[in-house]
Amino acid sequence: MNDANATANDSGFLTPRRMEKIRDYVPFIAISLVILMFWAISGDRFMSIRNWTFIAQQTPVLMLLAFAQLMVVTTGSIDISIGSNLAFSAFFGALGMLWFGDVGLALGVAAGALVGMINGLVISLLKIPSFVTTLAMLIMVRAVVIIISDGTSIYMTDGRVSGGTNISSVAAPWLLSMGKFPAIFIVAAVVAVLMWIFYEKTHFGQQLKAVGGNERVLRLMGINVTAFKIKVFAAAGVMVGIAACVNLARAGAATPQAGLMIELDAIAAVALGGTPLTGGYGSVVNTIIGALTLTIVRNGLTIAGVPPSWSQVALGALLIAAIAISLNRARIDVVK
Amino acid sequence: MTDTDPPLLEVENVSKSFGGVQALRSGSFKLDRREVIAVVGANGAGKSTLIKTVAGVYPPDSGEIRIKGKPIDLHDHSISRVREHGIEVVYQDLALVPNMSAPYNLFLGRTPRKWGIFVDEKFMRTKTREVFDQLNVKTVQDLARPISDLSGGQQQSIAIGRAIAWGKEIVILDEPTAALGPNETTVVESMVEEVRDTHGTSFILISHNLDQVQRLADRIIVIHHGITSQEFRRGEVTAQRLVRAITLGE
Repeated sequence: MNDANATANDSGFLTPRRMEKIRDYVPFIAISLVILMFWAISGDRFMSIRNWTFIAQQTPVLMLLAFAQLMVVTTGSIDISIGSNLAFSAFFGALGMLWFGDVGLALGVAAGALVGMINGLVISLLKIPSFVTTLAMLIMVRAVVIIISDGTSIYMTDGRVSGGTNISSVAAPWLLSMGKFPAIFIVAAVVAVLMWIFYEKTHFGQQLKAVGGNERVLRLMGINVTAFKIKVFAAAGVMVGIAACVNLARAGAATPQAGLMIELDAIAAVALGGTPLTGGYGSVVNTIIGALTLTIVRNGLTIAGVPPSWSQVALGALLIAAIAISLNRARIDVVK
Repeated sequence: MTDTDPPLLEVENVSKSFGGVQALRSGSFKLDRREVIAVVGANGAGKSTLIKTVAGVYPPDSGEIRIKGKPIDLHDHSISRVREHGIEVVYQDLALVPNMSAPYNLFLGRTPRKWGIFVDEKFMRTKTREVFDQLNVKTVQDLARPISDLSGGQQQSIAIGRAIAWGKEIVILDEPTAALGPNETTVVESMVEEVRDTHGTSFILISHNLDQVQRLADRIIVIHHGITSQEFRRGEVTAQRLVRAITLGE
């Protein structure tokens, strides 16, 4: 079929395709500017090895949660229960270690998958929007953690101290060492590579984008989208479970308050990475940069002596600015 | 095909209701190999319901559908099952995923895999090129681009290409040229004739364009108020007669 219009717009320097390419680099440009800015403000205190080691320890949990969110957001849904799920999974991971020893940590991943699967089942079978379902789960799962834990924490110890009568503790020196640099960084890097392969190269990853692009069409092609969405939320739950184990290693305790409001940071990291919340496409690399940018900005503002409340204002402004630049408005008809 | 061979597709007294509304009261037609039939009717007459019921989008309430003489289980009548029989549909809105490339759209629901989980992108690109070459589609060059970057005509080529690539037996075209200009319409019509002649594919065409229907279809089925009321052979009906059959059921 002839179509002369197809390439009609591809003239001049700033063609739509070039603009698209430039938008892809916004997360890289944003993080570079942020680093340069804090370097200029705080100098060596910000650029010290000690500080970057701290950043490398701080980012992995957020990055893994952002991966969970990326999977869900790519399909056009959202999961705001991941903070509560983090506390739930970490608690069951710690309980698993109390009951079954080291292998019991896997119970944390299973608990994450369970919450994710319940989300998927409710959304797909009862057709309740993901925002409402996961909001309800955010409330319920957090409450369940508080009920089960009776408000107390389970601590990981290095084996030299034993817990008191009111405190549950597990001797897990290996887990605590995993929570420190460089082990935590290596674990995060391995998961990030696997996530990239999963998201970019597998059939599941491509289906995530297709569902976000046009779910109805997939149904017309005979694809069981209902079952697929349940798997997506379960896969996101597995990733939250992994994040919970990493958080357990880093924080050294499973607390009922773990991951409070962190779902918003995960959504922000995904958005900073240029993934539209309407779904259809996304990038693992850009999501990593989004998570890293958030951590660096928080860290840089703290070092610069900015009060926490103003830090939040700055983070919010950064989020709007990054999305405003990276958004392709030509493709958006309606904003709700 | 011999005289004793059953028709490729037989639809008998198929009905479908949505809530209290009976969209299709009794739909019946037959389709032979290498045949192009057209289903025409006024808006709301039941054309789309009939076609979507045959395509497995809606399970029929009653009736019988036979493919190559074998009745199909209406309780197990789904899109996937219908596609397994080599029946494909080009929907009016093309049913493409805009953010995905042409190869992904061509392989939607049939993505080839390596080691069970990885997408075989190389095979998809090669097969897409083959299909486009067969259909003489020259303008879709960059197979990595999302199809939202392509023109309406190019997207139409992909939708038809997909149906023809997998619809070895029957391709259902739902208003295939409604959004196209005269030149592109001619290309689509030539494509239908060529594929029928070279591959032996049968076509079911739904169209409001009566000139096109008379040009392409061997037989024309008229549907009126949810009932397939009349049937004409090519050349035995005038446009005026057809309009009367569509609007008044006479």
